[in-house]
Amino acid sequence: MRSRSIVFPLQLAAACLFALTTFSQTRDKVRFGKVDPEDFAATSFEKDTSAHAVVIADIGSSEFQVERDHFELTYKRFKRIKVVDKNGYDAASEEIPLYISGQLEEKLINLKAVAYNLENGKVVETKMESKSVFTDKYDKNHILKKFTVPGVKEGTIIEYTYSVTSPFYFNLQPWNFQNEYPTLQSEYSVTIPEIYDFVFLKQDINSMLTVKTTVDRQTYNVTYESNGPTGASQHGSFSANTVKNVWTAKDIPALREESYTTSLRNHITRIEFQLSAIKYPESPIKPILGNWQKFSEDLNKDENFGADLSKNNGYLGDVVDQLTNGLKDDTAKARRIYNYVRNNFTCTDHSSLYLTKPLKTVFSSHNGSEADINLLLIAMLRRAKLHADPVVLSTRNHGFTHELYPLKSRFNYTMAAVTVDTLTYFLDASRPYLGFGRVDMSCYNGHARMLTAESVPVYFNPDDLLEQKSTFVMLMGGEGGILKGSLQQYPTYFESCAMRSSIKDKGKDAYFKGKEKDFVAETVISGVELENLDDNEEVLKLKYDFDMKADDAGMIYINPLFTEAMRKNPFRSQERRYPVEMPCVMDETYTLNLTVPDGYVVEEIPKSAMVKFNENEGVFQYLIQQSENSIQFRSRIKLNRAVFAADEYNSLRDFFDMIVKKQSEQIVLKRKS
Amino acid sequence: MLTYITKKHAYTICYCVCFLFFLTPVFAGDPVYPAAMIPDSLKKNAHVVKRMEEVVVKINDPRDVRVTTHFVITVLDAEGEKYARVIESYDKLKDLRSIKGTLYDALGLPIKKLKQSDIQDMSGVGSESLMTDDRYKQHAFYYNVYPHTVEYEVEVRYNHSFYLPYWVPQEDESFAVQQSKLVVTAPKDYVVRYRNFNYKGEPAVTDDGGDKTYTWEVKNMAAQSDEPFAPRWYKRTTTVLLAPAAFEMQQYKGSMNTWEEFGRFAYILNQGRDQLPDGVKQTVHQLTDGLSREEKIAKLYKYLQEHTRYISIQLGIGGWQTFDANYVASKGYGDCKALSNYMCALLKEAGVKASCVLVYAGDNAKDVTEAGFPSTRFNHVIVCAPGTKDSTWLECTSSFYPVGYLGGFTADRPVLFVDETGSKLVHTPVYTMEQNQQIRHISATIAETGDMTLKADTRYTGLQQDDLHARINMLTKEKILERLRQAGYFSSYDVNGYECKQLKESLPAIDEHLEIAAHNYATVTGKRMFLEPNLLTKTGRRVTADTARKSDIYLADAFRDIDTVKITIPEGYTPEALPQPVALQSIFGNYASKVSVEGNVITYMRSIEHKGGSYPASAFPELEKFYNGMYKADRARIVLVKK
Repeated sequence: MRSRSIVFPLQLAAACLFALTTFSQTRDKVRFGKVDPEDFAATSFEKDTSAHAVVIADIGSSEFQVERDHFELTYKRFKRIKVVDKNGYDAASEEIPLYISGQLEEKLINLKAVAYNLENGKVVETKMESKSVFTDKYDKNHILKKFTVPGVKEGTIIEYTYSVTSPFYFNLQPWNFQNEYPTLQSEYSVTIPEIYDFVFLKQDINSMLTVKTTVDRQTYNVTYESNGPTGASQHGSFSANTVKNVWTAKDIPALREESYTTSLRNHITRIEFQLSAIKYPESPIKPILGNWQKFSEDLNKDENFGADLSKNNGYLGDVVDQLTNGLKDDTAKARRIYNYVRNNFTCTDHSSLYLTKPLKTVFSSHNGSEADINLLLIAMLRRAKLHADPVVLSTRNHGFTHELYPLKSRFNYTMAAVTVDTLTYFLDASRPYLGFGRVDMSCYNGHARMLTAESVPVYFNPDDLLEQKSTFVMLMGGEGGILKGSLQQYPTYFESCAMRSSIKDKGKDAYFKGKEKDFVAETVISGVELENLDDNEEVLKLKYDFDMKADDAGMIYINPLFTEAMRKNPFRSQERRYPVEMPCVMDETYTLNLTVPDGYVVEEIPKSAMVKFNENEGVFQYLIQQSENSIQFRSRIKLNRAVFAADEYNSLRDFFDMIVKKQSEQIVLKRKS
Repeated sequence: MLTYITKKHAYTICYCVCFLFFLTPVFAGDPVYPAAMIPDSLKKNAHVVKRMEEVVVKINDPRDVRVTTHFVITVLDAEGEKYARVIESYDKLKDLRSIKGTLYDALGLPIKKLKQSDIQDMSGVGSESLMTDDRYKQHAFYYNVYPHTVEYEVEVRYNHSFYLPYWVPQEDESFAVQQSKLVVTAPKDYVVRYRNFNYKGEPAVTDDGGDKTYTWEVKNMAAQSDEPFAPRWYKRTTTVLLAPAAFEMQQYKGSMNTWEEFGRFAYILNQGRDQLPDGVKQTVHQLTDGLSREEKIAKLYKYLQEHTRYISIQLGIGGWQTFDANYVASKGYGDCKALSNYMCALLKEAGVKASCVLVYAGDNAKDVTEAGFPSTRFNHVIVCAPGTKDSTWLECTSSFYPVGYLGGFTADRPVLFVDETGSKLVHTPVYTMEQNQQIRHISATIAETGDMTLKADTRYTGLQQDDLHARINMLTKEKILERLRQAGYFSSYDVNGYECKQLKESLPAIDEHLEIAAHNYATVTGKRMFLEPNLLTKTGRRVTADTARKSDIYLADAFRDIDTVKITIPEGYTPEALPQPVALQSIFGNYASKVSVEGNVITYMRSIEHKGGSYPASAFPELEKFYNGMYKADRARIVLVKK
């Protein structure tokens, strides 16, 4: 059973939920339709943060109810928002996504929306008419119900309430306690009959949630599939304990985007659910969630994932034979097949765990999602009798996977692994710039799974992705006040990828013409040599000569790093709320040999320096030395870690400040008088 | 091809601009259009080559217009891939009848036919509107072996003739065209109006007794190079705009031979929709009775801004026809048409004459409306209250604009003033260099370490305050500060103070106070200190022409910046190298910068007067010289040495 997932941007995510009205135990007793003049008084959030709107209450519930003879989920939501100023008007418009799958669909019922304005000390209501609710058929599986509350001005309080009934009983709605506006009170109550076993996945970094649990008993009258020896459907009535959990949070600040954050999903205060087992009366427990082995087995058997991989796939025969013809070495075969798939198939979407169409169609249409393409790659590798398996993961913008629970919804990406002897190569044929055995930066998001029978955990940790770069420059005097240099560089792997596609796109000449503009002084680049331009597996090697006009008037000032100096500190904010999550670790080395031009002497050189970050977690070296008429210079930036806690932010920022400062310093040459 | 253009510009109305595309495929058995047959002259600079195209516009009657676009495109490389697809919108006024397509390999042999099940059908509502009836269908073969060729035929039907397609065979610079044809057929007595750009001669006209057919054709158009500061693309390539003389849209009939006729239609379409509820009428009188015309306008504009908001709902003819005033009064929202109509009704009740005005809005869209060719090239509505001396213009979708100010979104362009009898094309106000100013005073202090603190006081006026005006009115204080920190003024810095004040002037003006502490702004190496005296106002771009300039130069609005910077440096430093004064004069404007040092105070003065407007292509070397001169001067460095 595949659970649906609706992927919408975060601000909508809050809207994706459903709801319930009152809670007698809540102190504030916010109820739909009960708005008093004192409710218009300014909240602390307005005073402190100049928020455009404040969510006064966001109260939801999910319950299992019997509809005719089967269980349905009823999600109710009640939300009250105060529109503080004109920029908070967006809070008055709402979208409710509904999921449809074949004959089954979610339904929106009992939608009511009202605006309250305080006029001459009295509360005046404006109700939304039902014909003001629009239905947008978003795509095959989604309908958006859209509305905006009428009569909204600065200071208006708006409320809406609605229910969504869903036949997708396994898909218990998650709840975000945090959204783009600050929230005074957020509450979600979930009542589950004990026949369903759900895992609760709570994310509450700042410990804002409290929970209250009560147990009750209810009788249900339903038809259900027995897992007994007959396996027949049974109809009957049974009573079961129900467990009700109410999670509450108060005074929740608005979400804030920060740079170098993989995904706010990892930080937002939220609860979600996963069905782990069904226990109908007098039936054995039917496990749903299972363990990682089961996860692997399910996916490998799934029609929409791995089912075709174990087949003969005769249609691949000709191509695979042709590709591997004459090759003895398994790695060579795998490489050939990989290159073929990467070069001949276009990826149309990079966020799909499952096949979007049958493998055979992927093969004939030459396009598909990254899952389509990489599963086809596996089929072809297996056809060539190689040992290949799927690898599934979650990309950085999709949040982490859960190492403990095998939750399919946490995964959004499928790659391939091929094992030759004891060596395993990870392959992604969906990105034309990648090479054999290379994994895209966006996939370095920690825990992933290789779907062998044992289901092996694999880890793509940013700490293990070393982006290494080295640059060598020689510089000497030329004729007529020109400085002549030559540069040789090995950019990092992903810089190489970017340069390759840029050079292919613009052409070599235009690319290096553009590069000339990166020099501070007027510069002409010539004699460009590129190695590995067509070999995606390796880093580029590039060489060029450059002629640079010195600024002169008796003195020449040279930044020894030229275009390679780090000119801006990447950490610009003064404070940090979430961890800094960089995609890789860096090691950049730069070396210069400068021969002082004839007729000049060294007037001044910068001082050498070395700075360590947290003892041995990072180092910045700036070493310069003069002997006779030559200067040797070397700069190295090395960080051994990619992820830093929020409280390390200031020292990280200072470390980069030092780099930027030193890398702006100048060598001064003076004309001999 | 089949470009779908959304109508979701923040304030949009309408369905003004229509997009057309269509044709008739062959699908014959023989190899079609092998890539090898493309002449080399057409491959140069091209990512795609249109091998053939036929756009057939068949006007059966004013309520039935069929447009069939048939084209064959060879994609030379991955960059051209985005053109090898169909994205076609449809709605209540436009029926998308069919899409057919075939993919061919380099030899021209068919690889694959489009399957109807591969066509995606999507909502076109987008995020700017609450609701529209826009939908679109799209298809692509996603083939990545180059070159390859795609053939498509798309057939649409308009149930009106209010707007007709236009023909731009060369869709952008990277497009070469071997052959393309536009064929328009209409009943003999039906007048088809057209406007040619960069088309030699006139269309061929044939008459078969019942129908009249107009044919335009181009052959062998080479790709062009991408040129900065160029006029709108369709004015640089062959374009034919079409428009009806007489038209029908649902139960409405009209004509647009002249702007007056078109304006009359727009008037009738919305006639009688300005009835205010009694309560609002009373409010209008309470607010305005006894006031002058100017005071009434200001009062009612403020009332509008406080009691309504922008919500876009566009359904069928509702793309052109407004919700009535009563709707806006009861809901408190509307789109540009509805809010403008409501504003006119408020003004009318107060005895102030005002009309809706159709405009093509957008910061870079001054020249979309063709003054000499009445057609539906509008996407927005504003209000004009004609005065004896000056007219008052009102942007009714903004809750923040000062009364009477239009801003870069609608200023300086031809617009249609809609009236029962006197509709006419008029021009919105032009904001001049004297009005669009940024006058800045900075005082800064540099410490021995190279750290700098600065206080900058800046007055922005006219169009130069548009962005800042939006920012300070629409963002929270935290977000404004975060923007300032992320702006990258210096290599590393903190923002320690920020305040803005909107001045109550007829020309909008904002005073901004900014305090920054920049880490290591000056580079200290041994006994020397290096620094750029231009702290905050730098020209962003160097300009180089890689090939001979072909198109005219088009510069947006005129502006003036003046900076006065005083930098206090630590005691004991004297200048070793000072930038020379720079004075650049050109037909595009003037620039001057100058540095002087007195004791431990550096004074830097910079001014730029930048003109707008159009200039011949031959002036490009002068533009290069002017821009590159400014670029260099703005980054000139002072070297100080400690004695």
